[in-house]
Order: sequence, then C-alpha cells, then structure tokens
Amino acid sequence: MAETDWNPWRRFLALPNESRTKTVIVAFLVSVVCALLVSGATVLLRPIQTANRAAEEQARIADLVSSIPGMAALLEQSGGTLSTVIIDLQRGRAAQDVTSGTLDTALADPANWTALDAEADVAGLGQRPDYVQIFLLRDGEDVSLALLPVTGQGYGGRIDAILALQGDMKTIAGITITGHSETPGLGGRIEERAWQASFPGTEIRDDTGEVRFRVARGRATNAHEVDGITGATRTGNGVTRMMRFWLGPDGYGPLLDAIERGEF
Amino acid sequence: MAERTDFWATLTDPLIRQNPVTLQILGICSALAVTTTLATALTMSISLTIVLTLAAGIISMIRRHIPDTIRLIVQIVIVASLVIVIDQVLQAFFADISRALSVYVGLITTNCLVLGRTEAFARHHAPLPAMIDAFGNGLGYSLVLIVIGATRELFGKGQLLGAQVLPLATEGGWFTPLSLMLLAPSAFFLLGGLVWAVRSIKAEQIEPPEHTPPVRPEPAE
Amino acid sequence: MSDAWSLFVFAAFVDNMPLTLFLGLCTFLALSRRTESAFGLGIAMTGVLGVTVPLNHLIYQGLLAPGAWAWAGLPELDLSYLSLIAFIGVIAATVQLLEMLLDRYFPAIHAAFGVFLPLLTVQCAILAGSLFMVERNYSLGQSAIFGLGSGVGFAVAVVMLSAIRARLAYADLPAGLRGLGIAFVLAGLMSLGFASFAQMAAAP
Repeated sequence: MAETDWNPWRRFLALPNESRTKTVIVAFLVSVVCALLVSGATVLLRPIQTANRAAEEQARIADLVSSIPGMAALLEQSGGTLSTVIIDLQRGRAAQDVTSGTLDTALADPANWTALDAEADVAGLGQRPDYVQIFLLRDGEDVSLALLPVTGQGYGGRIDAILALQGDMKTIAGITITGHSETPGLGGRIEERAWQASFPGTEIRDDTGEVRFRVARGRATNAHEVDGITGATRTGNGVTRMMRFWLGPDGYGPLLDAIERGEF
Repeated sequence: MAERTDFWATLTDPLIRQNPVTLQILGICSALAVTTTLATALTMSISLTIVLTLAAGIISMIRRHIPDTIRLIVQIVIVASLVIVIDQVLQAFFADISRALSVYVGLITTNCLVLGRTEAFARHHAPLPAMIDAFGNGLGYSLVLIVIGATRELFGKGQLLGAQVLPLATEGGWFTPLSLMLLAPSAFFLLGGLVWAVRSIKAEQIEPPEHTPPVRPEPAE
Repeated sequence: MSDAWSLFVFAAFVDNMPLTLFLGLCTFLALSRRTESAFGLGIAMTGVLGVTVPLNHLIYQGLLAPGAWAWAGLPELDLSYLSLIAFIGVIAATVQLLEMLLDRYFPAIHAAFGVFLPLLTVQCAILAGSLFMVERNYSLGQSAIFGLGSGVGFAVAVVMLSAIRARLAYADLPAGLRGLGIAFVLAGLMSLGFASFAQMAAAP
C-alpha cells in the first residue's frame, strides 16, 4: 500500500532526477553549500593570511637591514629601531592625513592614484600611488638609512623590491626583491643574494643630479652600474627602468631631495 | 574477503598499471608546469590528491540525485569550491609555495584527472570505493610528479627540497647544473622518457601502430 | 598600436600556452593525431578565449575585485576568492551559448568546429587565460588581445604537432614510444624551438 510520505526531504529525494523542481532545488542546494564552505574558509583564514603577509614584510625588512655591512653596529650605536612614515609622493614629504592603518583604504580610492602618461611611465606601471609607506633609520637627528618600496614591470610580470639608501641619499646600501614572476634560473636569479650583493655602494646619481643607475649587460663597468644576469637582459632592463622611475621626479626624487636638505 | 582484494586492486592499479598520466593521458598540464622543484611538485600532488578524494566522496554521496542536465556543472562547482578552500589554506600556511604555484592550484578545477575520475568512477560507485579509487589515482599522479620534480630539481640546481645535494662548481664542487632542466622542454622529454620506460616494462600498455606498412618481399628496384 | 602587437606576439609565441606554460595539454595531445581535428580545435580555442577573457575581465572588475563595490558603499568588500567559480560559470555559459548560436545561425561552421566546443568547458587553458588576466592586471583591450593571441598560439602549435605526427605514420618507432611517448618528445622539441622566442617581446 502506497502511503503518502509526509517527510518533505524524503519526498524531494524520491522525485525523478529529470523533473524541473528537483533540478532547480539540487542546483540551489549545491550552490548554497559550496558558497558557505568557500566563504567560511576564506573568512576564517583571511586574518591568518594578512598576519602572515605583515610578518613576512617585517622579516624581509629585518633581513635587509641586517645584511647591510655595518648596519648591526649602527643599530647598536643609535639603539634606533626602524620608524615608518607614510609619504605623500606628490609633495615629497610626510602625508598629513594618512596613517599606516588607513593606508590601504586610502589606496582603494582611485582618486589617490596618479595616472602616468607614456613618457613619464618608464617602469610600465600605468599609474602611481600617491601614498607610500617607507622606513627610516635615524642616527640621532639625521637619517642614516632609508628603505623605499619600489615596483616595476619586469619580463614576466611585476617586480617588487625594497631599496635601501644610505644617509646621503646617493648611494645604495642594499636591495631585496620581495616579489617577481621572472623565469626561474634566468630572470628569477634577481632573488639570489649573490646578485643583490653587487648593489651596495652603487651610486644612483651623478654630479649633475641625473639618475644614472643601470643594470649592465655582463659585469658592471662603473660606479653607477650593477652586474647583469646572463640570459636575462629584459629582466635587467625592467629593473633599470623601475629604479630610474622611482629615483626620478615622479617617484621618490622630491623626497630624496627633501631628506638631503635635512627637512626630515 | 573478495571486497578486500578489490579495494587493494582499486588502490594500487593507478600506480603503474593504470597510471592516470602515463596511460590515461589525464592531468598532464599541471604535471609539467609545477615540477621545477620537488617542493612545488609535492604540494601540488598533495593538493590534487586531497581535492580528488574529497570530490569523489561528495559526488558519490549525492550521485543518485544529480539531474543529468546540470551534471557537469554541479561536479565542476563542487571541485571548484574544494580548490578554493585548498588555495586559501595554502595561502594562509604555506605562502611562499603558494606564490610559486600561482595559477596552477586554481587549475586543479579543470584538471581532466579530477573530472575524469568523478565522471567515470565516482558517479557509479559507493562513496568508499570511489574515494579509494580517487586516492589511488592521486597517488599515481603524485608518483609521476615526484619523479619528474626530483629529477628536474636535482639536475637543474643540484638541490632536493632546497637542500644542496650535489655541490655546485661555482661554489667549489664538481656539479655544473643543467639549466635546460629548469625550462619547459625538459619536462616534456622526461615525461616521454618515463612513458617509454613504463611501456617497455609493461608491454600491454603499448599502443598498436596506426598503419601497417605494406609488405614488400622484394627490394623496390 | 605596437603595444597591442607586442602583446599579441607575446601571448601567441613567447608565452605559448601548450608549449611554454603547459596548459591545455590533454586536448593538445589527444586531438593532434589528425590535422582536421587539430585545426578545428585551434579555431574553437581562439573563439572561446577571445570571448571569455574580456568577459571575465568585466565581471572581475565589476563585481569581484577588491573595491569593486565602492559605488554601493562597500569599498572594503573583496570577493576575489569567488573568481574561480565565477570564471568557470562564465566559461561554461559562453561555450553553451556559442554552440547554440553557431548551430542556429552558422550551421556549416557548427558542423565543422562545433563538436569541439563542449570539450573546452573544462580545458585548463581557457580558465588559465582568465586567471592570468587577473594576475597581470590587464585592461579590457589587453584582455581581448591576450585571449585572441593565446588562442592563435595554441592553434599554431596543435596544427604543427598534428602535421609532424602525420609524417610519422610509417616511422619505425620503438614500440614503447609509439603514440603518447613520441608525442611528448615532439612537444618537447617544439617547446625548445619556441623557447627561442623568449625575451623577444615583454609581458606588458
């Protein structure tokens, strides 16, 4: 004897698979369950991811500073820790109303990005953020080290790096690459210590104040060049253009002048 | 008792006899792209095995109630959700490797191996055999990836899992790395060689010739 | 204009999907036995990539990217983790629509290439096109050129491979290399050839 099953769930399961109701309900249920699963995992894990990113950034900066010769001694002497400053790139000085906490929100607003025309856009960025977080190491009143994040278009994608400049704002103290999509074994060698070791002591500008930094093809031939990587000319060119942009008038140029003049 | 033997066969068949990569031509894309180092190959193998097993389990559980018209998209959505969760876990706990794998973790979604096994096996079997079959296929896939990944890292950099195993000539040793191993073509050659090796041992996997040349008893002149 | 051309060459030859990035290999190897099927696959790939990459760009920028909901007062909403599912959905729908359109309005073309379209729903190369577009932050125009270029590159590679395999019909190969093995070796040699394109054009 066929009894009417009052349990709606069992009734639903008993429907033929091809019926429209079942199709719609199955589709809906699958979507809802998957959406919950995915959103739940993301919401749970996002704090860990952001914390990881922040910790990585800190570790990288600490690594960079400790790898520069004489830095450990300087740190002991001044007992200084790195202080961070949000720079307003348009004015070349500390930003008035943006802090490191509000930086992300500020940069989510497209009004805080400056579009670059083709001539000025040496590094292939398209647009430049108006606010950047930099790190300064102070020795008493003077700035002894400046850590500047830079980014540019490499061969396979964006190259992100942190550049360390000595207190005179003319000589490189070191560099660390924080992100890239270059070919492993070729352009990817920019992340190796051995290549980055050719940076300290390189002068970025000549006496007229023009940016002369260059990644050479082969060994560096003068004080403004660093060694190139064989088989990775385009990556090297990308690095050159990135440095030229950020050390120039549209990047940190005004800031470096301000620090040199002692306004910091 | 017969069920026990069946499970063992289901688990071990995909290792060599029915290896998904070398025989069934499934899951090749990611098999080559992520094998520049052993670490990425291992991470990819583990991720895919987890996704495959869980997806097989879930799809097998609801297999009686999936309407035919939305069958493919339901399977894809389930696999995609699992992949996103795995991707988030990787980004949270293994950030460096996640960056090295970039888009290829996302591509597990369309990996022919995952969809192939759910279509062929999971849809017609109970959850436990389906998951065992999936796990076996995952292991077979992992075997191929680990072999190729280890070979490429060892001869391309002299390292295994980041540890210098063969001393580099530039650092006073004797080993000059084979840079070709870090580029794309080497993976193709290695996989072709692997297929050749497997088929030389297991002759039943050899494909029949497409055409038989006409028999010519006398020389052409 | 030269930027567009440079991107096209980059997508088609320098970052060739099957031979440099290892994408779409299953169909690449499976459908390269006959030149006709290879050609059909190439055309279908180009069409689907050329449509789905720009379409997914619009959806990503409009709905999923961080800050996309700023107009609704939710500037911090970041739905980018849903992009995988969204892209797959869009690709499946596009393929379905394309097939229906072709069947209705261009039956001759449908008879020739339509049979390959369902295969492309789950092709890693198609999904990868959209994922690379997000990773490299392409604009709408760049997405279209990137999609078309990738499709053309795939078509060139698969037709070339099928032509070589046709030549090997009577070759006296070792038994273990027959079929799949020699296809890999051939793909490796072609990949070596394509590697010479590396660094000829830069990724914008």
